[in-house]
Amino acid sequence: MGDPTGEPGSSMHGVTGREQSFAFSVASPIVHTDKTAKFDLPVDTEHKATVFKLFSFSKPHMRTFHLSWISFSTCFVSTFAAAPLVPIIRENLNLTKQDIGNAGVASVSGSIFSRLVMGAVCDLLGPRYGCAFLVMLSAPTVFSMSFVSGAAGFITVRFMIGFCLATFVSCQYWMSTMFNSQIIGLVNGTAAGWGNMGGGITQLLMPVVYEIIRRAGASAFTAWRIAFFVPGWLHIIMGILVLTLGQDLPDGNRAALEKAGEVAKDKFGKIMWYAVTNYRTWIFVLLYGYSMGVELSTDNVIAEYFFDRFHLKLHTAGLIAACFGMANFFARPAGGWASDFSAKYFGMRGRLWTLWIIQTAGGLFCVWLGRANTLVTAVVAMVLFSLGAQAACGATFAIVPFVSRRALGIISGLTGAGGNFGSGLTQLLFFSTNQFTTEEGLTWMGVMIVGCTLPVAFIHFPQWGSMFLPPSKDPVKSTEEHYYASEWTEQEKQKNMHQGSLRFAENAKSEGGRRVRSAATPPDSTPNNV
Amino acid sequence: MAIHTLLFASLLIFSLIPSSREGNKGRLFSVLQNSLDVTVLEAGKDMVTIKWKLKSSGKVDADATFKTIQVKLCYAPISQVDRPWRKTHNELFKDKTCPHEIVSKPYDKTPQSLDWTVDLDIPTGTYFVRAYGIDGDGQEVAYGQSSDEGRTKNLFSVQAISGGHVSLDIASILFSVFSVVSLLVFFVKEKKKAKLEQRE
Repeated sequence: MGDPTGEPGSSMHGVTGREQSFAFSVASPIVHTDKTAKFDLPVDTEHKATVFKLFSFSKPHMRTFHLSWISFSTCFVSTFAAAPLVPIIRENLNLTKQDIGNAGVASVSGSIFSRLVMGAVCDLLGPRYGCAFLVMLSAPTVFSMSFVSGAAGFITVRFMIGFCLATFVSCQYWMSTMFNSQIIGLVNGTAAGWGNMGGGITQLLMPVVYEIIRRAGASAFTAWRIAFFVPGWLHIIMGILVLTLGQDLPDGNRAALEKAGEVAKDKFGKIMWYAVTNYRTWIFVLLYGYSMGVELSTDNVIAEYFFDRFHLKLHTAGLIAACFGMANFFARPAGGWASDFSAKYFGMRGRLWTLWIIQTAGGLFCVWLGRANTLVTAVVAMVLFSLGAQAACGATFAIVPFVSRRALGIISGLTGAGGNFGSGLTQLLFFSTNQFTTEEGLTWMGVMIVGCTLPVAFIHFPQWGSMFLPPSKDPVKSTEEHYYASEWTEQEKQKNMHQGSLRFAENAKSEGGRRVRSAATPPDSTPNNV
Repeated sequence: MAIHTLLFASLLIFSLIPSSREGNKGRLFSVLQNSLDVTVLEAGKDMVTIKWKLKSSGKVDADATFKTIQVKLCYAPISQVDRPWRKTHNELFKDKTCPHEIVSKPYDKTPQSLDWTVDLDIPTGTYFVRAYGIDGDGQEVAYGQSSDEGRTKNLFSVQAISGGHVSLDIASILFSVFSVVSLLVFFVKEKKKAKLEQRE
């Protein structure tokens, strides 16, 4: 699946927990291993690794993986660093509930735009500089928390810090230059999930750092400002590590100059058109807003909620809140895996049902969280809610690669932006006004999750069907080739620009489910092991 | 997975500790007797003088059950607007009007006076002072406050410290500049190196 030439969109393969060819190594005969290359990991002809060795730091592939996910995670740490300290900050800055809510909305809004720009930045400067530039130029925004004296300053600084979440794009982009597209699904999914963990790590890190500074003698209103230096230093450290230890491509850094012009780039306007006119894109934008979006919203409100509702100490509330974000470590990959597993027996219909079940379950647990009156029930409900929401993120991106082959990059970007938009919206509706208490807000957010997950039923592929409808009976329209080739005009087809889509269509036949799998295996498909 | 299970388990253990303290739920503020007289006088830049005594107009043995006197700093309604974490509830265990304790001492039947320096972590706001008479079981039995019942009279305001320091601002600027400058230095150096190597 995917193709090794690096066409637009192939870098976004995955962002899922596991893709169809879920494997730690490439077993396909069409990927030729380059035996002359001297790398620690086996590589293909482009010197991209064909094996994903998690606990290795071998240069350059695994080193890139670790630099990349840790940088992304650092940005999550600083974006959500204020959240667990809000009980202190709100007293220092005399904030109202609206101010706190607006700051939360601001923290996730900036990256809607910065993520869109980041793709171009990576094209221009390469992912290594893209990542380093973003991380080191956003360090001043983190340090500027020490100057904040009121609501306006607080909201502005949280907005500016939020821009650094665009490291998501540089992370995925960088992975795609280092890892073969057959395993990029797992690699990208792991990197994304572990990056999101930063939103959980910060809930525990910041209260602990605050406590230490307090004990060292600082007053409360000074201690939280000093605590912000820690994420600021992390930015600087990661930026320097990326610059000194990282490299853009397996063979070095300057090869990018030589490679320019090798790949015929597709026209942005055309790709945008196919992305925007495919109705499934918009359903996924909505869906991701209620899996990733609610995850981000919860990262912002959950520590304060436990602190206020259950009269906990700051670091106890932080510990509980951390459990929410840290579940990403395995929950997101698990969602992708569940999708792949159901696809084995029920094809695309299985994937759609899996997504609906997981995301709806998450919504119901969110309702339970809002209604929980004792600490223990609240914690249990929160953990189950986190599993549901995060696994749904993984399951979403297990389907997105099939929505379009030509416009995958833009659709992935739009879906990601939908996540941030959903987060801003839920925070604005439920956590910024006096209309709802936080527990009521959580309950209604859960109800909204269930409601906004229903549109999964409308996702229909002519070649595979949908949740309730069978595939099209038309002999032409019910082929994978027809669906993916329909994104190209006749003129483009005559120039053979659609070859990548046809190869993809061939590999995608397994989404038909068991009945297709039992037919003769196509010669160039990857065996589904594990 | 193991780390997560460990966190979850230790979390359950943590949670069992506070839940056992919820024995005296349900005690209402409205059942308390207003038998204490509390007055507050501003006594300097960051000091207030608080005086409390048993009300002479009340019953003679109204303080028979008092074992401890707890004096607290409380938010006036104007400081509670749009801030649900300071909300007044009738159930005492839920009530968040008076989160800051000033002093808690054994009850002495004589009138008391205290010069209190406002803590550094008291936020900007409008306040009054309330004293609770607490019996041997730790239950509130009576109260008195420096304001009226509607909490609109005899209020005083506190202007908090900002928490900022010049040294903090300087450190912040230094690290920010370091970040930007080191990035640019790296970038320029590498570009120069690449140009040199290309010429060779």
